Amino acid sequence: MKKNLFTILTLIVLASVLLSACGGSAPATATEKKKVVIFVGMGTGTDPDQVDAQNQLAQKFNSTHDDIEIEFLIVPHEEYATRYLAMLSGGNAPQLVGPNGISTVAEFFDTWEDITPYIEAEKYDLSDFYGPAVELNQYPQKNTGLPLGLYPSYIYYNKDLFDAAGLDYPTHDFNDTSWNMDKLRDMAMQLTLDKNGKNATDPDFDPTNIVQIGYDDSWDGMRGTLSTWGAENVGRPTTADYKTAVANSPEWIQGLQWISDGIWKDHFIGSAEVQAGRDSAGVDPFGPGTTGMFYSHTWFLAEGLHDLSFSADIAPFPYNPKGERVARIDADNFTIPKDAKNKQEAWEVMKWLTSPEIIVDVCRIYGCIPARKSVQGKFLEQLKTDYPGIDYDVIFKSIDYLDNPNNEAWIPEWGKIEDTLNNSLSLVYTGTETDATKVLSDANTEVQKILDEYWAKQP
Amino acid sequence: MAETIKTSTRSQSTRRSFSGIRTQSLLLKGITTLLLAAGAAVIMIPFLYLLSTSVKDRDQLRQSPPPLIPMAGTTVEINGQNEPLYQVTVNGKQTKMALIKNRPGGMGLFVDPENPDQTNELVIADQTPLKHLEIHWENYPQALQKMNFNRLLLNTLLITFIGMAGMLFSCSLVAYGFSRFRAPGLNVLFILLLSTIMLPSQVRLLPTYVFFAKLGWVDTLLPLIVPQFFANAYDVFLLRQFFMTIPLELDDAAKIDGASPLQTLLYVIIPQSRPALVSVAIFHFLFAWNDFYEPLIYLHSPEHWTLAVGLQTFNALYAVNTNYIMAASVILILPPILLYFLAQRIFTQGVVFTGIKG
Amino acid sequence: MQSTRPHHRLSLAHREALWAYAFISPWLIGFVIFTIGPMLASLYFSFTDYDIVSSPEWIGLTNYINLFHDELFWHSLGITLKFALIALPLNLIISYLIAVLLNQNIAGRNIWRTVYFLPSVIAGVAVALLWARIFDPKYGVLNPFLERFGIHGPGWFSDPHWALSALVIMSLWSVGGNIILYLAGLQGVPTDLYDAAKVDGATAWQRFRHVTIPMTTPVIFFNLVLGLIATFQYFTEVYVISVGNTVGGGLGGPARSTLFYNIYLYQNAFKYFHMGYASTMAWILFVIVLVFTLLIFRSSNAWVYYEGQLRGR
Repeated sequence: MKKNLFTILTLIVLASVLLSACGGSAPATATEKKKVVIFVGMGTGTDPDQVDAQNQLAQKFNSTHDDIEIEFLIVPHEEYATRYLAMLSGGNAPQLVGPNGISTVAEFFDTWEDITPYIEAEKYDLSDFYGPAVELNQYPQKNTGLPLGLYPSYIYYNKDLFDAAGLDYPTHDFNDTSWNMDKLRDMAMQLTLDKNGKNATDPDFDPTNIVQIGYDDSWDGMRGTLSTWGAENVGRPTTADYKTAVANSPEWIQGLQWISDGIWKDHFIGSAEVQAGRDSAGVDPFGPGTTGMFYSHTWFLAEGLHDLSFSADIAPFPYNPKGERVARIDADNFTIPKDAKNKQEAWEVMKWLTSPEIIVDVCRIYGCIPARKSVQGKFLEQLKTDYPGIDYDVIFKSIDYLDNPNNEAWIPEWGKIEDTLNNSLSLVYTGTETDATKVLSDANTEVQKILDEYWAKQP
Repeated sequence: MAETIKTSTRSQSTRRSFSGIRTQSLLLKGITTLLLAAGAAVIMIPFLYLLSTSVKDRDQLRQSPPPLIPMAGTTVEINGQNEPLYQVTVNGKQTKMALIKNRPGGMGLFVDPENPDQTNELVIADQTPLKHLEIHWENYPQALQKMNFNRLLLNTLLITFIGMAGMLFSCSLVAYGFSRFRAPGLNVLFILLLSTIMLPSQVRLLPTYVFFAKLGWVDTLLPLIVPQFFANAYDVFLLRQFFMTIPLELDDAAKIDGASPLQTLLYVIIPQSRPALVSVAIFHFLFAWNDFYEPLIYLHSPEHWTLAVGLQTFNALYAVNTNYIMAASVILILPPILLYFLAQRIFTQGVVFTGIKG
Repeated sequence: MQSTRPHHRLSLAHREALWAYAFISPWLIGFVIFTIGPMLASLYFSFTDYDIVSSPEWIGLTNYINLFHDELFWHSLGITLKFALIALPLNLIISYLIAVLLNQNIAGRNIWRTVYFLPSVIAGVAVALLWARIFDPKYGVLNPFLERFGIHGPGWFSDPHWALSALVIMSLWSVGGNIILYLAGLQGVPTDLYDAAKVDGATAWQRFRHVTIPMTTPVIFFNLVLGLIATFQYFTEVYVISVGNTVGGGLGGPARSTLFYNIYLYQNAFKYFHMGYASTMAWILFVIVLVFTLLIFRSSNAWVYYEGQLRGR
């Protein structure tokens, strides 16, 4: 009996080893092709449909290249940080990472290779790329990658709700300076309705029973929301030398107070409660048709503008009180980890993905505007087929108003400061503290402390 | 003599209070069932929403508050657009019309689908939007196909069952060692065993990954299976607790019969511990079935993923496909529930100690 | 004859010890191969400044000192303790009582058991999404239900005062796991004890109090110790609920009201690249949990009854 038991158990152990070896990856035979693994998951790209499209793209590359083989490594978005860091620690860093938003470039800033030497070695021509797009990837310490795509931002608006309120649609004229934050507030208040149909300008308006909201900017954090107000450091809460915190600049305070009043005084912005269940339902602020205007980026087209039960269009973001227009931008690129092997091959793949022939297909998968000027026409055709009936000019023109320093750009202790600022934002959205001056002074003190600790550690 | 007296008094007392005991027991059963039913109703409500969400499409997900029964707004196509259909009252008559445009002041333009050129301006709030039942059963096959269910199922089953075998084997041995023996330092080692789960796993993650990477086990199922053969704190602790409820007299009896400690384990302890062993097996199954934390780190290629990892792909950056997540979750529930239901037989057998003379 | 007796006794104890070590050897070997390395590595990291991408730099006790002065450390510890103090007893008691009910000889017993077991089987990510929707203050399920009784429900996960309570309620839904264990323990109570008690005229309550509870103390003890360890390390559910919601505060919840210890640890490790600091946090938690566990173990002599307990333990 004992002997039988022992035999059985040994067989189980053997079986497990064999079976898992079968399920394991193919042995690393010395092939001619160098492997380039593309880590996808920091940003978009993990939706099952996108996975299929990326695999097709890989086949296209592999069938036309003898010396390099690419493979898209799909990492579920929630776990990109742990997996990336594990791969780095384990010595098997991926060759390329992307699509990388500015935020994830910042998050893992120290791990990226500087591609300046690669560009200079072959005098790679960057002139076809949008100048600002190239600039967004350039930091004092390094150039993080060739630009892939841009996601300018603008207002998505629900035409049916405007019709119901008897309002004119927001202007599409970029030179109309009367389209400012006050006008936005006005319109939004008229678009905010309680269950009796009264809007927020009505003295009998019931703020506890709001069924329709005028304006929403809930899908961005503190830096993104306040970058449009014209502060000297735009979307960056520190000075250019990264030593002084400026989260309490007058413009940021003005912007945050505008939001705070929008939520708690004028009621045209939804509080945290309104946002609460949306994420869990997989629902965006715009789709249900209960929001008049939603400030978001080009990446929202892919998700938000499908199967709408109402007519929608897009309009430029308004002018701020300083008479300037800042429409924040998101930008994606691919980056190369410093510790990866086959970096030269990674560079080749990076060039291929952002080449004029391929960039439109890549951007179609990820929903971005290609960062190359020469392919705009081709991409516009795609846009017209995918999203008929909107004003495409708004998309392209908004690029010129991007925020630089960008609201997601790297600063020291990027993650910690991001969490601190978003916690402060939640104070306003939950009504815990509605005085913007207080919220931002406290935030500024915290940020300064973090910066001081950082610089104290530097040699 | 004394014994027979005892028996007769016993039977007398039972006869006297027989009816009392019966009503008491019926009452007890009644209350019990009532309480359980109330609790079960509360427990099932979220589960019903799980089911209901799993058969909705994107549009239906947008409804708020989310209806338990998957309804969708009825629409009709007018001039190439889908417009919502309402039950309207016009000139005292009830008819069906579509809302094609909103107008200020809560008014709306309604048209009869048969006669789309004639518009009626009516108060929207006075009309009733029409809804119909719409169940998207196709979410299930779609979710399965999108997550490559068959392959992931195979991986998950491999990890689960082989791990279970290893765990039962090793944990029984180790728990036995900790519960039936005296040895110097054993108590300290037991605390050490427990302490391995007191350290948050986040800080061990990277060093453990590096270790497996050096072994070449990354992107294989090995890191998830092999450690199971070396026992784990939870199951050892649990089995030890159960083993310690078994009277030592049984061990002694076996020893007198000449059994070695191993034989005592196999023929005395293990048979007595069936409920505990089944519990431990079920727990392990559940854990391995739903665990995504470690598989996420070690399994790179999608063909090696487990079901729990596959579920994560629906949780993408901009598009949380809640309906697919729920559909896949419902399917994932079935095997553990089946297992649990089958294991009930072991639970219902009480452990009766007979033949132990004081 | 007498000279051989002491010789015999030593060798018996010796043999028992050898058997003991033989049986626990699978765990010992595994510990040495898989566990002790990473544990010691993290202990080492706690004395270093380590950002994962470059080598660790020894800084001695600096992390520990900084931790002491870190407001968020105390805050997260407080939240975790608060949660543990509420959720743990509630969980233990409710699951025990339900298990007792499920152990009765009623009709459809298996079905009831399966129903209560169901929630603990559902994948974590689905559970979190489900409850986030249920707790949605404006468009969810719970608040509209409360409205019918005239109660205006709070903001739950978006309200700093209620987020923690929402988590407690969510955790109670999945008590099924504990129930199984209690069932197994209840099954292990010898039925002749109940028979003897009935004969002595004990009521149902007295049987419960004097037979059921004492005989199941080993399982209660188990659930208490592991429940303590689990609540102190509470992470996954909070993570899934809060991670996407930016204006709700992200990880950490509204106004940091759900910044659990392990969440703050995770942020330090994988978001801020302060792996050394995170390791320090881990080992501090370790000590706290160890102390609590030892206290419970100490106390167990007073209230836990093992039928098969070895003398001299």
